[in-house]
Amino acid sequence: MNRTQLDLILKTYHREAYIWARQCCAFDDELAKDVLQQVYLKILEGKAKLKEVEKAKTWLFSIIRYSAIDQLRKQGKLISLDESYEVEDLKEEIDQTDYQAIIQLLPKMQQEVILMVFYHQMTIEQSAEVLQIGLGTARTHYDRGKKKLKELITKTQTQEYHGR
Amino acid sequence: MEDNAELKRFFENMKEKDQELNIPPFPSYKTRKFNFWIPAGIAASLILAGLIMHEPQPLPEAPNEVLIITLQQGENNEQEFTIEEKAYLDVWESPTSSLLTDY
Repeated sequence: MNRTQLDLILKTYHREAYIWARQCCAFDDELAKDVLQQVYLKILEGKAKLKEVEKAKTWLFSIIRYSAIDQLRKQGKLISLDESYEVEDLKEEIDQTDYQAIIQLLPKMQQEVILMVFYHQMTIEQSAEVLQIGLGTARTHYDRGKKKLKELITKTQTQEYHGR
Repeated sequence: MEDNAELKRFFENMKEKDQELNIPPFPSYKTRKFNFWIPAGIAASLILAGLIMHEPQPLPEAPNEVLIITLQQGENNEQEFTIEEKAYLDVWESPTSSLLTDY
C-alpha cells in the first residue's frame, strides 16, 4: 500500500477516527487530538501496517484504542478492568441528554462494544477484533452493556420526571 | 430489533449532538523523500579521505655521499682542514669506537 492510498483511507475515516479517539479518551478533546496525531504518525512512519484494505476501519480503531490506553496510562487516568467491572450507580442527577455521562457509567469494555456497534455501525465481530477478544466475550459485553444502558436511560428519565 | 429501538434512538440523539463537535482538520504530513545522493556523497568523501590519509609517504633517501671535514693539526702546529667524500654506510661509527682507539 502506497502513501497516497493510506492518506485517502485516513482522510475518509478522519471524522470517525477523531470521535472514536475521543470516546476512548473519556471524551477529552485535547487528549483525543494528541492520540490521533500519534496514531497518524505511527501509521505514516510504517510502525502500524494495514494488511487488508477491507479491514481498514477495524485496524484504525484498534490502533486508536491502544494509543489511547497508552496515553491514559501515562497520565495515570487508566481505570483497571476490575475497578470498572461494576456499573456505577446514579448517585447524582444526570441530564438524560448528557449522553457522554450516561455512557461513561458503563464498564469500559461494555462502553466500547456498545459504542462500536450502535454509534459506529460495526458488527460485534469487528468490535471483538478491535478489542482483541473472543467473539463470545464480545457478545457478553454487548448483551450486558445493552441491558445496563437501558436501565440507565430509564433511570435518568425517571429522575427527570420526578425532578419536574 | 424492536428491543434495540430505545438504544438506537439514544445513539441517534448522541450523534446529532456530536455534529456540534469541532473536528480538527486532517493534518498534512510532508513526505520526507530519502535522497540517496547524500549518503552516497558522504561515503565517497570518506573513501577519498581514507585514500589520501593512507597514501604511502616517500621515505627520505639516504645520501649517497657524505662530506667529512676534519680539522687537524699539521706538522707546524697549524690547523688544516681535510675533506673526504665517503659512502653513507662507510662512515658509520660505533658510539663506543673511541674506547677502542683511545684506551
